[in-house]
Amino acid sequence: MVRAVAENQPGRNQNRMCSDNSIGAFIARLKGVMAVHPVAGIDSDSHFNTLAMELFSLQSEHNPIYRLLCERSGKTTRTVSHWSEIPTVPTSAFKEWDITSIPTGERSRWFCSSGTTDQRPSRHLHSTASLSIYEHSLWPPFQQHLLPEGCAFGQGLSWISLTPPSHLAPHSSLIHMFSTIRARVEPASFHWCSRVGPSGDWELHPQEVLSALNEACAKQTPVVLLGTAFLFLNLLDAMDAPVTRLHLPPGSRILETGGYKGRTRSVPKAELHSLLCSRLGLPQSNIITEYGMAELSSQAYDRICGHKAGTPLHFPPWARARIISPETGVEAMDGKAGLLQIFDLANVHSVLAIQTEDLAVRRGDGFELIGRQPRAEARGCSLMAP
Amino acid sequence: MNLPDYFIADLPAEAVITPRMIAESCDSLRRNREQFLTHRSTDWMIGVLCHAAEQWLEPGFPLRKLALNHGPAATGFSSETLARGLDTFFRQFTQENFEALLRQDLGHLRCLDKPSAPNRDEQHARLSLARGPELILHFTAGNLPIPALMSMTLGLLTRSSQWVKCASGGAFIPRIYAHLIYHVEPKLGACLELGTWPHERQDLNEPLLTTADFITATGSDEAIADIRARVSPKARFLGYGHRVSFGFVSAAVLAHGHARRVATRVAADVSAWDQLGCLSPHAVYVEEGGAASPEQFAELVAEELAAREQIQPRGTLPLPESAAIASRRSFYEIRSAHTPGTRLWCSPGSTAWTVVYESNPHFQHSCLNRFLYIKSARNLEEVLQGADDIRRSVSTVGLAAPEEQAERLATELARWGAARVCPIGKMQEPPLHWRHDGRPALADLITWTDWEF
Repeated sequence: MVRAVAENQPGRNQNRMCSDNSIGAFIARLKGVMAVHPVAGIDSDSHFNTLAMELFSLQSEHNPIYRLLCERSGKTTRTVSHWSEIPTVPTSAFKEWDITSIPTGERSRWFCSSGTTDQRPSRHLHSTASLSIYEHSLWPPFQQHLLPEGCAFGQGLSWISLTPPSHLAPHSSLIHMFSTIRARVEPASFHWCSRVGPSGDWELHPQEVLSALNEACAKQTPVVLLGTAFLFLNLLDAMDAPVTRLHLPPGSRILETGGYKGRTRSVPKAELHSLLCSRLGLPQSNIITEYGMAELSSQAYDRICGHKAGTPLHFPPWARARIISPETGVEAMDGKAGLLQIFDLANVHSVLAIQTEDLAVRRGDGFELIGRQPRAEARGCSLMAP
Repeated sequence: MNLPDYFIADLPAEAVITPRMIAESCDSLRRNREQFLTHRSTDWMIGVLCHAAEQWLEPGFPLRKLALNHGPAATGFSSETLARGLDTFFRQFTQENFEALLRQDLGHLRCLDKPSAPNRDEQHARLSLARGPELILHFTAGNLPIPALMSMTLGLLTRSSQWVKCASGGAFIPRIYAHLIYHVEPKLGACLELGTWPHERQDLNEPLLTTADFITATGSDEAIADIRARVSPKARFLGYGHRVSFGFVSAAVLAHGHARRVATRVAADVSAWDQLGCLSPHAVYVEEGGAASPEQFAELVAEELAAREQIQPRGTLPLPESAAIASRRSFYEIRSAHTPGTRLWCSPGSTAWTVVYESNPHFQHSCLNRFLYIKSARNLEEVLQGADDIRRSVSTVGLAAPEEQAERLATELARWGAARVCPIGKMQEPPLHWRHDGRPALADLITWTDWEF
């Protein structure tokens, strides 16, 4: 019976999506919250809870796939009273279904998971409205952690992204983020230093990076170097023969983001950072780690540029991480490891409660990543039927 | 733990192991073999092995108690799972079973003792003596201990000295077995050595790889390829790579209320070694049109797994393993909400067992640890189409079918490529003389000397 509603009445759902402006009202309020609480915590759990419950209600109403899950699991707005009880959707579900409340005609863009060996990547659908929230959400924490001196300071820096440019990789949420930042800062120089290979892999052109770095050194312009751990490893490999050591101008900084998904080679994060420090001549305090994914609209960071003491990863005030025991589903105690769940209010048009496949240790109100659960997909066993 | 420091694997974790120690241990093993082992008869060896098994099966035997008390922490299996799996293995140790193995693989009971005439060779004026390797090096896998114990047993039968390099975390039960052998016959124990070290310590593998004349390896295909590449051309190599297994339940066998009984056997196969072995089923196919539908059968299996958990609990899982189960469950929660052909049953408040029913006959790898797929299929042909991707890596197919169908189905499975077809409920209980991945495991260790006259 429930299925009949989902399949046979799409028109009804779509009409409701189009005519109901309550999502629009929520977005307006959320953007207000982002303006008022760009970096410090939303003042109380109850404030976050009010927003989360409101969004949960909207999503269970407007997102047919999600509504069925909630009804089947008995977790609906009638039974759930706290954000931590909101049913989560696993990231793997984004591979099989369009988990969205965006009407078909308004789905202008999607972000998909990259660098994995999956047969079918995740698809996080976006519209003009949802991209606008994404762009609103990414800026305050980025500025707080990478440009604590302010946006204007960024204009005088030399920006180098180890990724391809947006037009070559339109489905990468990371590259869309870098493009958005570029548009915000309007720096004097911004270099994209990868191309997309025939198999879709990002291929770094290390000479372009080194040439841009040398130019910045000559002009004594501080550099912002953006990239994934794997691309940084590519850069370091290229600096091995011949052995190249640079001393980047003071104020230079690095944003390093997630992982080696599906890659044949990886090095521990501490070792990667230490290599970057010694080869590029910048202090550890200027290497900032970011955590994000295609299925989210907010990102977590571990350090404010220049701060010696690293901190656990933290999301901005409109997103929260929760570490649960996969065995019992109960929230892990401080210092204990478990599966990472993220409750992201900026995921307005999809689902706010996401079950990741990442393992993390709870550190106070932040978290430390310890890896990805290895089975199944890593072995090339997709859950999808061919 | 109260095991004497007899083997290198018994040394405390902080002990320093050097390549020289390893090389010296190889020399000792060869000397001890020459002195204590080479001239022993097959009857004597079978007697020792049977006596060792009898000792193990004594409820109050100290090594057994030690293994079952400390085993859960050391291996991750519950005491009940260890007892059931090891008892099943050691109950096979009978004079008749060893003789059946020798006859099957070598053709004659005495050919390891003296030139004999296997396969009616006396008509051809020839006698043959079977010789085992001087020193076998085993690289064992860590998922479950039985393959290591089986390799050691075959090595003893061939009167070889043996060095068992155990996978990290996989040394506990092989050590218990080595101590059991040492307990019943110390001189035989002196022809065994065991150790374990991290993968990075390739320097410790080197003296073994250069000294051993026969190397066996069990593990992932990548691990096997890695070891094979380092084996000297003079040594022989036997690799047992990754294999998967599944079950098939014919519609006819579910008649007359037999569905529950078959479901109980499926639960036994899934619970044995917590489904971690190559012979454990990832999925069980159920033929449509029986007295119980595949979906009803899945529900019965779920009930039986719940009951099994009460008497033989699954072991405690490390975080990544339980996370894998939790992630898959949440995926199937959504799929079952949207697809009538999918249902999910889970142990409440734990990841102890999971059953996913899918009408789609495409074979699905399980994340194991008692996570089973039940799939419906119109007939065996559809099963084999659905499992075509894994055809070259299938070990065992557990079969539940009426007698009049069984031979036809087994023949079809054999022609398709299954290495072993056995009754459902016995998938993790291969007989002593089973052909490992379709090969005669004992015969593969042997070099023959033919005496023509």
